[in-house]
Amino acid sequence: MSAVAFREVSKRFGRVEAVRRLTLEVADGELVVLVGPSGSGKTTALRMLAGLEAVDAGRIEIDGRVVNDVAPRARDVAMVFQDYALYPQMTVRDNMAFGLRRRGLPRAEIERRVTETCRTLGLGELLGRRPRELSGGQQQRVALGRALVREPSVLLMDEPLSNLDAQLRVQARGEIRRLQREVGTTTVYVTHDQVEALTLGDRVAVMNQGRLEQVGTPEQLYDEPANAFVGGFIGSPPMSFLPWDGALLGVRPEHVRPWDESPPSLLGPIEGRVAYVEALGRETLVGVRTETGATLVTVLEGRARLEVGEPLRVGLVESGVRRFGA
Amino acid sequence: MIDRREQWLAHAVLGAFTLIALAPVVKIVLGAGSFATAWEDGNFDSYLRSSAIVAAAVVAISTVLSILAGYAFGLMRFRGEQVLFYVILLGLTVPMEAIVVPLYYDLRDVGMTDTYWALILPQAALSTAFGTFWMRAFFRSVPRSLIEAARLDGSSSWMTLWRIVLPLGRPAVLTMVALVFMWTWNEFLLALVMVSDESLRTAPLGLAFFQGRNTSDEGLLAAGALIVAAPVVLVYLFLQRHFIRGTLSGAVKG
Repeated sequence: MSAVAFREVSKRFGRVEAVRRLTLEVADGELVVLVGPSGSGKTTALRMLAGLEAVDAGRIEIDGRVVNDVAPRARDVAMVFQDYALYPQMTVRDNMAFGLRRRGLPRAEIERRVTETCRTLGLGELLGRRPRELSGGQQQRVALGRALVREPSVLLMDEPLSNLDAQLRVQARGEIRRLQREVGTTTVYVTHDQVEALTLGDRVAVMNQGRLEQVGTPEQLYDEPANAFVGGFIGSPPMSFLPWDGALLGVRPEHVRPWDESPPSLLGPIEGRVAYVEALGRETLVGVRTETGATLVTVLEGRARLEVGEPLRVGLVESGVRRFGA
Repeated sequence: MIDRREQWLAHAVLGAFTLIALAPVVKIVLGAGSFATAWEDGNFDSYLRSSAIVAAAVVAISTVLSILAGYAFGLMRFRGEQVLFYVILLGLTVPMEAIVVPLYYDLRDVGMTDTYWALILPQAALSTAFGTFWMRAFFRSVPRSLIEAARLDGSSSWMTLWRIVLPLGRPAVLTMVALVFMWTWNEFLLALVMVSDESLRTAPLGLAFFQGRNTSDEGLLAAGALIVAAPVVLVYLFLQRHFIRGTLSGAVKG
């Protein structure tokens, strides 16, 4: 296990600056999620850490050692790829043993580790199969097993769940979280899915256009977004924004309330009309288009009997309002 | 719409040409002795041996070189890569007719004419141009993540080629082997120019001389032609069984 640090790391692809002066520390045993929209530089950052992309400027450290010029195989990192990248001609057993053999481990030790990892992941009966004989979920577990069996210093995951269906994804997410806690390997996880980021990460780093926008615990990112981008990216539905006095106010749906049912502490009233109604069963999301043209989202318990176009007056819970520079 | 008479006429014409084309074959089948006669009169054992030696050497040399060069051009970045690749591609565009005469003088100067090398080396060079192009396309089609996974697993470039990438390329390699074998086996002009020794003559060349001597006996000529063509057909049929499609399926989630 090792700590990882990016120090002022930059990377260009031609004219595009993929990563700009990224500084980020990952503590020993921590799981940090890099999250951001596509093109935000999260995967490039991960690939630089793996040694699959060269670093243009800055330093990457693993366990205090600068690894900029260290070959991928000498970094002692393992990676789970988005497409799994299992060796198609090899059985599950050989896929897992390949990296261990390359490192010259004794046969008995390889056997022990493969068996152990397969037991943990429930892959025992699949050892003799080839990747094409496995379901998507099984392939994903083998890919995870191939990385874990190496007992690497740092585990890297590049959108490992994006090819699974929604139900399997939730299940696999829980499994990854459990395994990471069990083995305690320092992990950097890349995803574009903010729900995945918030549920998995000890800390979450939000990236946008190559820059690190904010890093913090999921609660910090949700409650105290550093800027409008983070507010708008984290949370489902995301923060609503409202121009106010030359600044931009950001407010989460739970902090937008209908005016008439309100305690007097609400800011407002804000006049608007219902723009859309999304009934989710337990709750209903209502978009309210204000006179200034901004749309505020509010969440109402149960089913709301509202029609699109109907006037609605809302207020904001003051403690939930964030103020950003416009 | 084609009316019935037109259809009948078309069938009649096609049938007539089929008969003309098949007649010599039928003649060989009816007179099974033609094969033995052709084999002995035509000295085909010697011709086939020469062809086999040349084809095996060309296939072996160009396969190894094409795999290595294709791997480098397909998956590695190095200075001058593009220029070098285009230089190699030139080999694909130059016909044998254009180089055979200067090549004859060059090889004569180094004392290589009338040897197997005069047939093997030029053909291996030309086949490697094609093979490099062919294998590069295959290596480029291999998912990058597979090669990266191998690198992270501690595999060297050499190991990645032989253990990870090449096993997936069996259909590509076998197709290349079949094509190069066929081209080498059927090569006529180079053998005509470079070799005058009867014992070094390859099968197509031998067939030409055989035809010159037996212009009247169609059955005998057809038997000779079949003897010369048979190895290509056999190699194709043998390799075809190994053209396994979809070896890549299950490698990466698509």
